[in-house]
Amino acid sequence: MFQKRMVVLWIAVWAVLCLAPAAQAAMPAGFDDNEIRIGQWGPQTGPAAPWGSVARGSKLLFDIVNEEGGIHGRKIKYFIRDDMYNPAQTVAVVKELVERQGVFAFVGGVGSATGMAVRDYLAAKKIAWIGPAAADKDFAFPLNPYLFASYPLYKDEGSILAKYIVEKLKMKKIGILYQNDAYGKDGLEGVKERLATYKMDLVAEIPVEPTEKDMASQVLRLKTAGAETVILYVMPTAAVITMKTAANVGFKPHWVASNTLSDYPLMFKITGGLWEGVITGALAETPDSKSPLMIKYREAAKRLAPEERWGVFYYAGIVFADPIVEALKKVGRNLSTEALLKALNSTKDHQTLGPKVNWTEKQHQGTDSVMIHKCGPNASYIMLQDWTTNDMATWKK
Amino acid sequence: MDMKRDYYEDVQLFKSNVVLFWSAALLLVLFTIPLYTPNYYIYLFNIIMVHIILAVGLNILVGSTGQISLGHAGFFAIGAYGTVLMMTTFQLPFVLAILIAAFIAAFFGFILGLPALRLEGPYLAIVSLGFGLTIMHIIGGMDVFGGRMGVKVPPLDLGIKQLGISWILTTDFQKYYLILITTIIMVVGARNILKTRVGRSFVAIRDSDIAAEVIGVNLTIYKTLAFAVSAFYAGIAGGLFGFVLGFFDPFTFNMILSIIFLVMVVVGGLGTIAGGIMGAALITYLQYDLLKNIAEVPYFGALMVAVSKQWFTVVGLENFSSMAIGLIMIGIIIFEPLGMFGVWIRMKKYWMTWPF
Repeated sequence: MFQKRMVVLWIAVWAVLCLAPAAQAAMPAGFDDNEIRIGQWGPQTGPAAPWGSVARGSKLLFDIVNEEGGIHGRKIKYFIRDDMYNPAQTVAVVKELVERQGVFAFVGGVGSATGMAVRDYLAAKKIAWIGPAAADKDFAFPLNPYLFASYPLYKDEGSILAKYIVEKLKMKKIGILYQNDAYGKDGLEGVKERLATYKMDLVAEIPVEPTEKDMASQVLRLKTAGAETVILYVMPTAAVITMKTAANVGFKPHWVASNTLSDYPLMFKITGGLWEGVITGALAETPDSKSPLMIKYREAAKRLAPEERWGVFYYAGIVFADPIVEALKKVGRNLSTEALLKALNSTKDHQTLGPKVNWTEKQHQGTDSVMIHKCGPNASYIMLQDWTTNDMATWKK
Repeated sequence: MDMKRDYYEDVQLFKSNVVLFWSAALLLVLFTIPLYTPNYYIYLFNIIMVHIILAVGLNILVGSTGQISLGHAGFFAIGAYGTVLMMTTFQLPFVLAILIAAFIAAFFGFILGLPALRLEGPYLAIVSLGFGLTIMHIIGGMDVFGGRMGVKVPPLDLGIKQLGISWILTTDFQKYYLILITTIIMVVGARNILKTRVGRSFVAIRDSDIAAEVIGVNLTIYKTLAFAVSAFYAGIAGGLFGFVLGFFDPFTFNMILSIIFLVMVVVGGLGTIAGGIMGAALITYLQYDLLKNIAEVPYFGALMVAVSKQWFTVVGLENFSSMAIGLIMIGIIIFEPLGMFGVWIRMKKYWMTWPF
């Protein structure tokens, strides 16, 4: 009995071993005659889920492109993969998309650590990655021929915000509350560099750990330092706790914040209205802007994705993804990765809802511009300053 | 049919030629998998095996000794960070680095074992949970560990730099063999531990710690030892995991990960080696592959998309992943308390007594 079973098994094992190599597939191509496959990872669940709308915003753009007939006869097939903001899962989903589904390029992708986990892999596989949805210096510096960054660096934003505070708001005593990591420190660096040109110094620079839940001591230090303006380079939760604590102790400075906090309806709701009057950097036009492109996308969203909220991060997904559509149109029917890279490298003053993007063969940090918005009553957006470049950006020289 | 006549029969690695044959066949398949599998699956196998090492170790603690730990992501992190730090800062060869890192993890396991002498059930769960979270934040707060921006893993060099020998593993295939061999050693090691005096002491503690003490089991030693052994396994797994990923940050090792580890052990089957292996393989496959691509599964995928559109929010389908794992766990506890191992036992019995 056992003998017989063993023989059968032995044959089965060898059959598998002999036949299987034939089944091994090479890495699938990223496109064929009918479709171009594009992927994006993003946290749809887990701690960073509110930023997951970036990936879904890109979907809207590709849906519109497909509705208009695709690009040179090819439709875009778009894959969203949830990585839960966890680098291990990002690697898994990216490998799966590249090696099983066959993806031609990636767009967007929320998170620094998640992006860093796959940066070298994508370059090794010669797959283009356009518009990471995070400002990390390691994305564009040193130059990576396959990676095209279009998110303004926090250092540039900090510099622009500081200039606005000093020149337009005429504030003398500026404090900053920054998260103790690359995000916060880059912002801090930009602010300090700008203030140095006015021979000014911060009255308080206070670090916050990303997970800190009690801001009382930080707020008191800002208050004792007599800060008239406080710049926030922190996560949404920390910002909310800070503002509520400040309100409790009667500390009412001008609040200025980074573009990561520019989702006003969300911030307004979780701060219970305290967010009104806050000035932030901005990645894209205001949601109620009257520009023709904005109207087009807004109307399309109502039709194609009625369940989505027309929020800043949702249409930022369009901003990050649009350059690849433009480049693919430029390339024409004869598609290849080299042709795509060439088209992307000749991107000049390309603008949709975000800043103007320029990429050359030597420079893949596409922009240094932000807008400045202010939160009005009922979480409305007020534009204070149109696209502003950072004249002090060191990386441009 | 499973009767043992003496002690040596019980500790035999292969109980019969049939088992020997099956094991050899399994090994053959495992060693030849890279020949006929796309690269993506190799990555998945690597993660699965890393999780197997961890789950087998966790099962020694949870299943065999009856202690609970919600902090194993902490030991996992110590292994990962320790290995990388030993290799970059102290320039140690990989094998030494991962062993030292695992022993550091084991030391922390021993420390966590001390409160376990007094605490039980939910209280121990809270202590271990706190431990896992603390480790994550301590690592995140120290620049030597790369802070919150994470660390880039050095090349996986099996040679010894000081002697000029270099053997760098770069592809997932090469890493697969390293991890496979480590996994086999660790699994066989776990089986040996459980078949010795130490293992029997663990089981005695699980069944009744007072009775165990009465028959001469030193609770202090064996309870802390169980934690240390389990943490050692997690440390080895963590060290390998870092190289599978290539880059990681402190939040990679979050609380959810600890819970997922526990789910693996419970779903697989508490207190058995095979249970840990099956649980780790199933949960990792579900989490990393099947549930990620649920929308592309024929028929069922379309159904799920429709259900999600109708009833859930915009990220309903993604949330299905967590729901599915939760449902599987609840289902296992209600219908099959022995986990997948219980199913396996019943299948085996049916097969052996067939056709009766």
